[in-house]
Amino acid sequence: MIELIDVTKIYKTEYYEVYALNGVTMGVDESEFVAIMGPSGSGKSTLLNMIGCLDKPTSGEVIINGVETSKLNDKQLTELRRDTIGFIFQQYNLIPTLTALENVELPMIFKGTSKQGREKRAKELLKLVGLEEAADRKPMELSGGEQQRVAIARALANNPPILLCDEPTGNLDTRSGDAVMRIIKELNEKGVTVVLVTHDPTLSKYADRIIRIRDGVVDVS
Amino acid sequence: MYLELAKRNLQRTKVRSVLAIVGIIIGVMAIASIGIFGESLKTSVLEKFKELANEIIVTPAHSKGFSTIDESDIYKIEKISYAEFVIPIKSDQLFVEYKKKKAYTTVFGMDEKDVEELFDAEEGNIKLRGSCVVGYKLANENNLRVGYKIKVGNDELRISGILKEEGRRFDINPDFVIFVSLKDFEKLSDKGYNMVIVKVDRLENVEAFKSAVEKSINSREKKVNIFELQLIIKRINEAFSQINTFLMAIAAISLLVAGVSILNIMLMSTIERTKEIGVMRAIGAYRQTILKVFLLEALILGVIGSIIGGALSILGGYAIDMAILKSAKYLFMPSTALFIAEGFGVGVITAVMSGLYPAWKASKLEPIEALRYE
Repeated sequence: MIELIDVTKIYKTEYYEVYALNGVTMGVDESEFVAIMGPSGSGKSTLLNMIGCLDKPTSGEVIINGVETSKLNDKQLTELRRDTIGFIFQQYNLIPTLTALENVELPMIFKGTSKQGREKRAKELLKLVGLEEAADRKPMELSGGEQQRVAIARALANNPPILLCDEPTGNLDTRSGDAVMRIIKELNEKGVTVVLVTHDPTLSKYADRIIRIRDGVVDVS
Repeated sequence: MYLELAKRNLQRTKVRSVLAIVGIIIGVMAIASIGIFGESLKTSVLEKFKELANEIIVTPAHSKGFSTIDESDIYKIEKISYAEFVIPIKSDQLFVEYKKKKAYTTVFGMDEKDVEELFDAEEGNIKLRGSCVVGYKLANENNLRVGYKIKVGNDELRISGILKEEGRRFDINPDFVIFVSLKDFEKLSDKGYNMVIVKVDRLENVEAFKSAVEKSINSREKKVNIFELQLIIKRINEAFSQINTFLMAIAAISLLVAGVSILNIMLMSTIERTKEIGVMRAIGAYRQTILKVFLLEALILGVIGSIIGGALSILGGYAIDMAILKSAKYLFMPSTALFIAEGFGVGVITAVMSGLYPAWKASKLEPIEALRYE
């Protein structure tokens, strides 16, 4: 499903170079739940951004769903993100001017889904995360846990086979965090491939496999 | 939905949006109001000349040595079918004795019915048999009244009428003139006809009339000059249009300022919404989608500002018309709608142009850079 071959990412400044990723080779199978763990600054977020086609490697190949992403232009990358990948961020990143329902509709609007179709789907997704009552509320009127659940619903809007989660419970209390993780786990059990980035060891119990990363290198020990 | 998104983004920074709209309103109003006023002014000036538009003045070609127009040529002019009336005039500077004063004065020799055709009497009647008619200002300055007698050359003539004040006319100005009959004129002066005023039946026939005169009188030698009053109207029209364009260009500066303020607030919101743009790009928005949302915001500001500005410019035009022309009767003309449309168009275009750079900048953001922005 996801394959990285000798991926290196170098951030250059005027005075020095930083190897955020240094020859990373890894793979994630379909329907697998992989947790990428490591201390802050280890390169785990950079790795997730590579998989999510938000960032381009300096060298190496990133293959998503059989497609070599370095060969895609901006428009094709956008469509890949829209249709194949769902993002869940630590900061929830909902659009503050839109209601919960509209936030969930947004990826479907970008795809060109009909108004009826996307409203129906958005309501279903909000029901799935237990927030059908909050459909008309703006992000400001929701708790952190609720916002993250709306974000999960949004990530699932276009039915992507891959879900990328960047510290999804990082800003949440234990109870809300557990609720969010249970939803993600359920989705994984239904066949969605999940890649989770975290430095919280308690989340490792949800994962099928753990990839540890340190200083931009996958730690095989 | 994009429209809705744009609308809500503007509502998010309400004060800023309102201020940007106010800028556009002022700019559009300035342009359209000045345009409306300029057109009103032009119309009011031209209206005074409207009835002169199909008049033609034929004078001797002084440059070729002709100081009078032959009677045979006047006959030829009368024969041209487009002429509605032909008024030949003789004139000279003659020594005139009033009650107390003696002075050289312009004396016109004309047919009685022709004087009636051109002018109206303020006092008395227009009668030239053994009497004369004097212009308004001449009568006023010398305290002349109907019934008084003045001595023109060696002839004593009774004043039968005093003409209404004409002010500025482009054919002849009667205000300082004494009118006598052609028969009396011949006794006073040996000057021949030195002007013929012709009214052509229809405006479209002015050109045809001119070429007929050229053919019948000027064919062998240029004996007369032809001056059409229509030319004056054309010149006035041109001059006013130029002045109006210039004034509107000055007014457009205020719109330019409004444009800069839109540029400014939209650049600010690009920066404030950097992260949001990153999120939208991450979940599947094309660059063009971002561009579209930002341009829609600029468009909304422009359309709202221009609609209100356009509506208010009727009031603005009314205010300037009343202040300067003391009349609003030229306010509702087709050109008013045109200037409102022009102001509206320029307002919307300014807003969208100002939104272009911020929108382009927003759409060029790399998703990962934008997402990292705090």
